[in-house]
Amino acid sequence: MIEYGSGNLRIPKLTRPVYVVAAGTTDFRRFYPEKQTIELVVEAFKMAVIDGLGMTPREFKQFPNFGIYSHFADHLSDQLLEAAKLHGELGLNPLGNLEIKTGGATGGSSVLAGIMAIASGIASVCPVIGWERMDEVGTNQGNTYIANAADKDFETPLAERYSTYYDLTSRRYAHDNKPPRLSLAKIAAKDHYYAQFSPYAQQPGNFEPERILKLKAVSGELTPPECCAMSTGASCLILADEEVAFRFTDKPVLVKGIGSGSDTLRTADRRGHMPILLPNETPALYRDIAERYPDFTNFEAAHWAAYHAYNSAGIVNPIKELDVLETHTAFTISDLQTWEDIGLAPPGRGYEFIENGDAFFEGRLPTNLSGGLLGGMHSVGATGIWQLLHIFWQIRGEWEKFLGEENYWRRYGKTKPANWRNLQVKNARRGMGISHAGTGSHVTCIIFERGW
Amino acid sequence: MEAKERKKVELKPEAFVELTKIFFNKEVPDEIWVRPLKRTITHHHSYGGLTQFYKGLTEGKLLGTVCKDRICQAKGAKIRLPPHVFCPDCWEKMEWVEVNTEDARVHTYSIAYEVGAGCLLIRPVPIIALDIPGVWTHPMSYLSEYREGEPYIGQRVRPVFRTENPTRTILDISWVPVD
Repeated sequence: MIEYGSGNLRIPKLTRPVYVVAAGTTDFRRFYPEKQTIELVVEAFKMAVIDGLGMTPREFKQFPNFGIYSHFADHLSDQLLEAAKLHGELGLNPLGNLEIKTGGATGGSSVLAGIMAIASGIASVCPVIGWERMDEVGTNQGNTYIANAADKDFETPLAERYSTYYDLTSRRYAHDNKPPRLSLAKIAAKDHYYAQFSPYAQQPGNFEPERILKLKAVSGELTPPECCAMSTGASCLILADEEVAFRFTDKPVLVKGIGSGSDTLRTADRRGHMPILLPNETPALYRDIAERYPDFTNFEAAHWAAYHAYNSAGIVNPIKELDVLETHTAFTISDLQTWEDIGLAPPGRGYEFIENGDAFFEGRLPTNLSGGLLGGMHSVGATGIWQLLHIFWQIRGEWEKFLGEENYWRRYGKTKPANWRNLQVKNARRGMGISHAGTGSHVTCIIFERGW
Repeated sequence: MEAKERKKVELKPEAFVELTKIFFNKEVPDEIWVRPLKRTITHHHSYGGLTQFYKGLTEGKLLGTVCKDRICQAKGAKIRLPPHVFCPDCWEKMEWVEVNTEDARVHTYSIAYEVGAGCLLIRPVPIIALDIPGVWTHPMSYLSEYREGEPYIGQRVRPVFRTENPTRTILDISWVPVD
């Protein structure tokens, strides 16, 4: 669709408030033979219930009335209906549940489904549990499996690797906009650097941006530190309605805004047109590009999701009105594009968001303090949930507890670094997590806000 | 009545494998078992209503589809490539047309230095998306001949069809520079 009717543009409005009351996660590893998927899921869930809510599992299990399971690819784990297996192993039968699948955006879509369950009144307490077992096959086979999320008739046979599909967008973006190449490397350096301060992160690293550019590329100009991790692990959030939320905790986090967007699976199929405008955008921004937008250079799904999320949250200026952000940095180029799509920088000038310091801790809108997908993890079904749980901890002022306490480092056999930095954003009240699939086939924007 | 001998159930030879000891350059801890589970799978995938496109490639023709619906035509409908059986705008059946590739150019590109395990192209391989006058979209393909500095955005290219020994996949069309 390149022309929109009034129904298409409707702003989502929850019929009753939805809160997040607890979060849990495992660490993430490239190869995790020590634990089966169920062990990872139970660990993440126990962390949310015991460490987060201060309840025993028996106490908690009286409350949930629905479950959402977030899992990208059955072929990676070689197990159909894995959600049923996990639901049973958690002892949650005969409660109803759904398993959600939207590629890389599966985590965000699953949280959205959990929000729908609570807002609609289907549920009053709904865990959202995500995982991905990406270590049963080697990296090249893993890339082929993931490339099955491109069109198998027309795209997948061409390299069978998503880094190539993103580099296609990168080359066109560079041709049209000429961003400083070093700005992209700075994104990777930032996210790997922040990952050093997380006991959960898989790929911490201290890179000079210049060194990133000298590494051998995997596709076009994309070097390994600019490409997301392939991870095994699990994360969860527990959602509740208002009555239960305030019974469970004094500090529930409110779902303030939601948006979800889509685009054609094939990047090739996107026809040029003028997009809808975000609250902080003017038509002049698109004057020179409306005929070809979104082309290979932008993701309309992200723009559409942001439009709905900002309008449902009443946000006019996202940089000013959000305190913390987690983006789906599958590759460095996708951050530049996404920053523009969600109105943090004008089209073609996404690099300004990192070059002017906005994206850093203590900048105007700190982004991916978790380490993101480059430094932290990309365990697809868990990813969008993992991003939002960091927003949850930020808003509750719990960063130091969950990332700084020694026992969480010891739990995963790690030593807390002597130079550990507390990346708690002062007085963080509101944050957004973005979940993103394919080359922008699905995107969710979910905004959390202090609910107490 | 004489009791018949019980039959024995045997296992296939491939049931017996060695445990995985090292994966991702990491040793599996002694107390954990990691067992290889081999899968050899063939899917029998139908091209359905798009078969004509793939057949066209083996005959040296690049086919796209165009919507002849009155409103779509009035809105300036152009060729869609990859083709669609039904028009995404009006859901009417689309018509096949041969694409004129005379002034085809590289819209964007990448060099795949690494490829997925199932990729039938030998790496490195230049992957391209195309600008073709009269075509609404930017189909992906690959350059089957290139030299240093190629491909580049705006480079003129022409199609090459694998009419002999076709793969019956999208790999039956590639592009080469027009010097």
